[in-house]
Amino acid sequence: MLWSCIRLPALVREALAASEREAIERLAAWAYQWSSLVAYRLSDGTHNDAPAPPGAAAVASTGGNPAGGLASGGDNDGGDRADEPLLWLELGASNALFGGHAALLARIRAELTRLGYSHRCALAPSPTAAALLARAPATAERCVFTRSQLRTQLARLPLTLLEQPPQILAALQAAGLRRIGEVLALPAAALARRFGPQCCAYLARLTGDASDPLTAWRLPLQYRARCEFDQDVHDTTALLFPLQRLLQEFQGYLRGRDVSVQNFTLELEHHGAADHSAAHHETGATGRSTPLARSTSLPIGLSAPGRDAARFLLLARERLQGVALAAPIRALQLSAEHFTAPAIEQADLFGGEAQQLGELTQLLDRLHARLGEQSVQSYRCHADHRPERAWRTVPPGPAAAQPPQPPTLATRAVRPAALLPAPRRIAPPRQILSGPERIESGWWDGAEALRDYYVVRAEDGARQWVFRDLSDGGWYLQGLWV
Amino acid sequence: MPALPHNAASDPTLGAAGRAAERAAIRERLAQLCRHGQWNRSAQALGSGYASLDERLPGGGWPIGAITELLSDTPGIGELGLLLPALLQLARDGRYIAWIAPPYLPYAPALAQRQLPLERMLVIRAPGTQEAQWAAEQALRCPAIGAVLGWCAHILDRSVRRLQLAAEAGGSLGILHRPAQAASTPSPAALRLRLRPAAAGLVLDIHKARGGRAGLTLHLRDTDAVVMHSSARAGA
Repeated sequence: MLWSCIRLPALVREALAASEREAIERLAAWAYQWSSLVAYRLSDGTHNDAPAPPGAAAVASTGGNPAGGLASGGDNDGGDRADEPLLWLELGASNALFGGHAALLARIRAELTRLGYSHRCALAPSPTAAALLARAPATAERCVFTRSQLRTQLARLPLTLLEQPPQILAALQAAGLRRIGEVLALPAAALARRFGPQCCAYLARLTGDASDPLTAWRLPLQYRARCEFDQDVHDTTALLFPLQRLLQEFQGYLRGRDVSVQNFTLELEHHGAADHSAAHHETGATGRSTPLARSTSLPIGLSAPGRDAARFLLLARERLQGVALAAPIRALQLSAEHFTAPAIEQADLFGGEAQQLGELTQLLDRLHARLGEQSVQSYRCHADHRPERAWRTVPPGPAAAQPPQPPTLATRAVRPAALLPAPRRIAPPRQILSGPERIESGWWDGAEALRDYYVVRAEDGARQWVFRDLSDGGWYLQGLWV
Repeated sequence: MPALPHNAASDPTLGAAGRAAERAAIRERLAQLCRHGQWNRSAQALGSGYASLDERLPGGGWPIGAITELLSDTPGIGELGLLLPALLQLARDGRYIAWIAPPYLPYAPALAQRQLPLERMLVIRAPGTQEAQWAAEQALRCPAIGAVLGWCAHILDRSVRRLQLAAEAGGSLGILHRPAQAASTPSPAALRLRLRPAAAGLVLDIHKARGGRAGLTLHLRDTDAVVMHSSARAGA
């Protein structure tokens, strides 16, 4: 096994998270795409397998720091000190897939930098050693692949890096020891007698002599990530940066689970839980309020499942542009509940049919997000003799590809390509080009039509499709030969 | 590359007027070559289906990856019929045709009669000019869209330029219907045609043609179109 350990010294601040657990679980979900064995440890020493503290939700929602209440309960290892939050990824099994450990680690680091997290990474055969190496000075080599390399590397490092209680470290230093190698050279039995068995067990785990079990963090089946802002946000454009990061992390989660998503929700939590008297609903039907804080809920739907953060961002941006903020935003939450199997985009041997479909889907999503669900339509023919009823709208795109209908109303008379929204009353035409064609239909459904249709040329030279309504004798313009 | 007339300017058998004409011809051809070099991408064209029109258009058809303006005040003079062979070709190639806020209802039975596959038509309704222009830009940028048909009573020069850039990016045919008075203002569109009704068919004035000659007038008869339709049907 080969463990990568990522130290995140400024995690909570950079993640804009309400609590450290929330922040690191966001990153753990993101990291799942590289490794199926992910574990974390909070700065108070709590591991991911420790049950979530009962008050965590309440603490998170009020934005307080939960670390204080947990200080005593977290020290389950006996030896761990309060420290920076750590994230472990087991990379031994990911070697072939991502082109070598070094390349993978470089990629992870680049992504972390892009997401805006300061971090220090190390790679070692045991998680304890990886955590130690991640704290090593910048000049030291932080990536070791074998246990012998690890021993050599550890031997050079100062013993203050050992995650042991300060009194043990002080006693070791008082005994004239400086380097970890000198500590490792001591007989284990003597060490155990002097400093207790836990110290010995720690050293054994460090070198890999003893097994070093970490409980894998289980990926949640529903996704929820939240950013909380220090200052009120008054403009939705200011949300784009944190949103971009949330979506990047979301993409990592989707990749890790190997699923796609068709619907997710952005929730804008507004400042001012106090002014309950104000209107609760921000955006009509989509506004939703919670008892604690008013919030605007923006459901974002895709026409086909996907997991591309850039595409999500485009849609979310269009959606956000249409939101009028009644109150400043305090927090932003991204959640998704339903996931689908990924649509696998395979290389298309004959033309880019699949690719074209993807491009079209993205266009439709953007149009829907900004102009509304009904903004894009396709038409199909409908078997009715009355021209205004001879068509139907259908949803656009490939879903509209239906078996061709038998031409039940075959007519040899050519129809104009443009129809007026409603027939318009006109003066009797002067120049008739062809006609009449009688259309008599609809006596059974209350919209009876009894008309003689003509093709006429209007004064301005346009070719028009007009009819004479035989029931009232009036002339109406219905179509144009565009 | 067409060969330039060799030493024509110094040919002693030509008179002064002849030499001036030769020089003018060379200059025009050089200018054309330069323009084609500059506009390499948009030099692609899609046959309009009307031989007499293709002859007069630079590249031999509707410019691909560019905006074409159709200037007319009279709807219903066959402006869609003019585009129909090209639209048929695009739809047959599996690309979609986006109608942005058409002022009328594209009539499905008529389109089906003209062999246009209805499932390739996307009609986009936008609440205002700005939204319509945004939608047009999005559609032009999408490679799945072969042609975008737009209607603009008022559009700024700047907006046409945006659309032109979007068309270049997406490699699609952008058609903008504008009122005839727009002819008096310059536009970044690659091709501008003024359409007028005629007794049988349509009269086109080539108002501007990037990389080609403007100022030509041409009469397209209904019969030309009919020939096209039947051949399109035979091909389909």
